Amino acid sequence: MPAPRLRSRSLRKVFRRVPGGRTSIHYKRKKHKQARCGNCGALLKGVPRELPYKMRSMAKTKKRPERPFGGVLCSRCMRRTIIDKFRQ
Amino acid sequence: MIEIGRVVVKVAGRDAGKKGVIIGILDDKFVLVDGETRRRKANILHIEPLNQVIKIEKNASHEAVAKALEELGIKARQTKPKPKTQKPKAKRKTPEQLRKLKEEKRKLMDIFKPKKKEEAQEIKETTLEDKAGLAEAKEEKHEHGHKEHKERKEAKPNEKKVPKKTTPKKNE
Repeated sequence: MPAPRLRSRSLRKVFRRVPGGRTSIHYKRKKHKQARCGNCGALLKGVPRELPYKMRSMAKTKKRPERPFGGVLCSRCMRRTIIDKFRQ
Repeated sequence: MIEIGRVVVKVAGRDAGKKGVIIGILDDKFVLVDGETRRRKANILHIEPLNQVIKIEKNASHEAVAKALEELGIKARQTKPKPKTQKPKAKRKTPEQLRKLKEEKRKLMDIFKPKKKEEAQEIKETTLEDKAGLAEAKEEKHEHGHKEHKERKEAKPNEKKVPKKTTPKKNE
């Protein structure tokens, strides 16, 4: 029986084959959901799905696309907003 | 719509939302753009033409583009070359300089060392004396242990004085 704190489903189970031959369960943090566009809800590309400690060690340029609204809007919505702004 | 001198907005990439001018037309898909954006080849689909046209030569230099765009109130991109900072080169010191440095160091040592030595010596002397006194006292104690009571009484006052002096110094 696992420890009571591990019986919640807030941690994810990872089955690992141990050198002794048995499989042991490792409990690990879950990753957050994939980033989505704030306008249309499409999945964003170029935004990594990593645990906070890994995100912290990453460069800013690796965490989102290098363009206006990068990491917030998808490229389609971004283009749409810019064109709308200049066309009025 | 797409002609040399047309003011455009880039719609895709990291220059998205920045204005520029078409300087050249490369083929039916690509044009050359310069201005707020980087001077670059751009797909026509990644450009939004505006209703302004500037008189500009084909393949005009970036400075000419900047001048032409100033009238429209658009500041062209300026890439300032980083000011060249010379790294301090580690030069070998001449023997004279080394000598001077050594002398300075010695002076400093002379200023600091002897004090410490004196203090240390004083402390050592006191401690040694104390130790010696204690040792003597102990020896005396041992000696007295074997001797008669009368001699002890005579010796005791001397013994008592010595440890009293030593104990506070130790605490210090």
